[in-house]
Amino acid sequence: MSKQDRIGPVRPSRRRVMQQGAALSAAGMLGAPFASSAFAQGDELAPYRSAKIDWKQAAGQEITVAVIPASYFENLISLQPQFEALTGVKVRFEKVPPGQIRQKAVLDLSSKTATYATHAADPMYFPLYVANKWVDPLDRYLGDAKLTDRAWFNYDDIIKAWREADSVDGKPYGIPYDGEVTVQVYRKDLYDAKGLKAADTLEQLVANAKALNDPGNRMYGLALRGFAGAGQNMYIYPSIFRSFGGQWFKDKVLTVNSPEAVAALTWYVDTLSAYAPPAVRNWNWPDIADAFSQGTVAAYIDAHSSAAVITNPEKSKVVGKIAYARWPKGPSGKRVTSIWNWGFPINAALSDKAKAATWLFITWAASAETQARTSWKFAGPAKRSGINRVSLWKSPEFAAAMKGAGDNFIPAALESLEHDTDVDWRPRVPQWPAIGDTMATAVQAALVGQKKPKEALDEAQARIAQIMKG
Amino acid sequence: MATRPARSLAAQERRFALALLVPALVVLLVTTTVPLVYLAWTSLMRLDLAMAYLSGFAGLDNYVKMGSDPRFWNSLVLTGIYTASTVILQVVIGLALALLVLQIPRGQALLRVGAILPIVLAPVVVGLFWRTLVLAPDFGLVDLVTRSLGLGSHNWLGDPDLALISVIAIHTWQWTPFAFLVLLASLATLPPDVYEAARLDRASAWQRFRHITLPLIRPAVVMVVILRTMTALSAFAAIFAATGGGPGSATEILNLYAYRTSFTELNLGYGSSLAMVLLAITLAISFLMFRLRRAR
Repeated sequence: MSKQDRIGPVRPSRRRVMQQGAALSAAGMLGAPFASSAFAQGDELAPYRSAKIDWKQAAGQEITVAVIPASYFENLISLQPQFEALTGVKVRFEKVPPGQIRQKAVLDLSSKTATYATHAADPMYFPLYVANKWVDPLDRYLGDAKLTDRAWFNYDDIIKAWREADSVDGKPYGIPYDGEVTVQVYRKDLYDAKGLKAADTLEQLVANAKALNDPGNRMYGLALRGFAGAGQNMYIYPSIFRSFGGQWFKDKVLTVNSPEAVAALTWYVDTLSAYAPPAVRNWNWPDIADAFSQGTVAAYIDAHSSAAVITNPEKSKVVGKIAYARWPKGPSGKRVTSIWNWGFPINAALSDKAKAATWLFITWAASAETQARTSWKFAGPAKRSGINRVSLWKSPEFAAAMKGAGDNFIPAALESLEHDTDVDWRPRVPQWPAIGDTMATAVQAALVGQKKPKEALDEAQARIAQIMKG
Repeated sequence: MATRPARSLAAQERRFALALLVPALVVLLVTTTVPLVYLAWTSLMRLDLAMAYLSGFAGLDNYVKMGSDPRFWNSLVLTGIYTASTVILQVVIGLALALLVLQIPRGQALLRVGAILPIVLAPVVVGLFWRTLVLAPDFGLVDLVTRSLGLGSHNWLGDPDLALISVIAIHTWQWTPFAFLVLLASLATLPPDVYEAARLDRASAWQRFRHITLPLIRPAVVMVVILRTMTALSAFAAIFAATGGGPGSATEILNLYAYRTSFTELNLGYGSSLAMVLLAITLAISFLMFRLRRAR
């Protein structure tokens, strides 16, 4: 097979350049100046071919995958030719902005049009998907020796907290591709100057914020997400709620206005009102990371992956002054971190052949090799920090790739993932889309002073009772 | 005998004309009437994707539910405030500008072209533009002005009251030029002799405006009010882009509430009934205003 056949004559793509580079280096090693690209390709795919399955079993299928336009998916998309060469399955990636991907997926799944073979799924949507039988349980696929080489794929190596978040009643419905965990991010230099340490409790977090807060000099003590949304302020508030000892379910009834909830929301409102930039009410994580990069915020709690923004030397003024720590403990003595992952489910409306092709895509994307190739082996500047496997998190290569992030980056994130979360840190019910939105509105209404925390939560409770009743 | 073939020829032609019209009518039916009927039908269903197993015919349940839904009433009140204030502001400012511009001897054409600019912008663009460049605290244009005037920096879209004022300002900014252009055109056609007579009778400027100008341009004003009311009631994109209905539910007009219910909360049945209520309100108000227009 000639290169022209496979790639087309127009412009040398990144793939072609890489491939030629690989071919050249392989040729150099072997001393054969005209090694074919087919050889390089075989070499490139060797780590996958060691799996004892027939990668070509669904050759000729075409699948569409919806992802969000983010660097961690861009890295995956750049490897698409490798997947197509490996399996003979054609993949079409559709980039959907994060604000719309849930709706698009739900519309596709509910109308059974089978447009998206798989999509980057919000873990909180799995209960909804499963209640409607829109996605396939994946234990079948994992257990099928024809489709999965268990030892090679090593599902149990994937981070447990994310696996559980993509499972319902112990059955996996999505395979995590990329994930994140929230940690304290703080300015080491400012903390050291005042003799402060990373907060171990929420009280200390407030004390630290107070010590550094100096709005006159455009320096604010702390920032947390204030923008309303199930994935914005309702990504952070649940952790505070749980660390105040809150439980989502009381006698199997979803309860959001318990005394712990009121205390947690009051803490959130008071702390942000006192020590955060006023605009935080409308801030999502990129705004917070930007402010931190500009040196106007001393600490924040958000996703570990925001490190990519604050350590970007082109945009950040605080590179080299950053350190990380786990969430502070709440009054209950518990640390509760917020976790997230983009998992891939299988659309139940697909044909069996297409399902097999989709599963091959998912195992390829979630495999240790692809994870490494989209992280430290990736040629571009964006090395993914949300890799899905414990073994990779503990690898020296990952540590080397992440060493620019700052002090204690990997330990803080990994310990948080292993110890500071459980699957129910948010209420996992099919009605989550409505509940998340209702709560997000209530939390923001309290933050901006439209309502008192208790009043806001009482109203949310009344609405949620209505929603759960249907 | 001679007329019969002619009549059947006419009938034939009518039939042919009808046949030619059918595709257009079908397209119209499929794209406008069918979705509307489907919306009305959906509003009578319990259709909540989060609880699909409960789906079924629900009669008027969705409408009954609104009675005890505080967010619905909140959105209804906001819709009222938003519509009334934007329409009044547009007409008052538009009319004032038109009267002013009428006095300008030269360059009217240039002003007219300039006035069209906000109208041709997509509302989403307008919302984003105001959110990021005009109203952002610290470096937004409005904030710059208020700070230099010593009025301090404000969180224009983050404070519940200011946010409502802000979205009203955004809508007014975008659509006042429409009122301005229509009223300017209408003013330009007024007969000068009436004014001359009034001046001879020593009518003051205010009297001339009150007793001559206003009655003469009344049809144009009513037309503007009707058109602007319909647009304001169905406003969506600019608010969605600027605040998303927030903070909290401070700018969540009925249209946004219907959207959030349908597509964020996935409760399509209830969302459809909310949209039907908005449709009913729009129809009722338009009907009343058309009556008003005919009244004199």
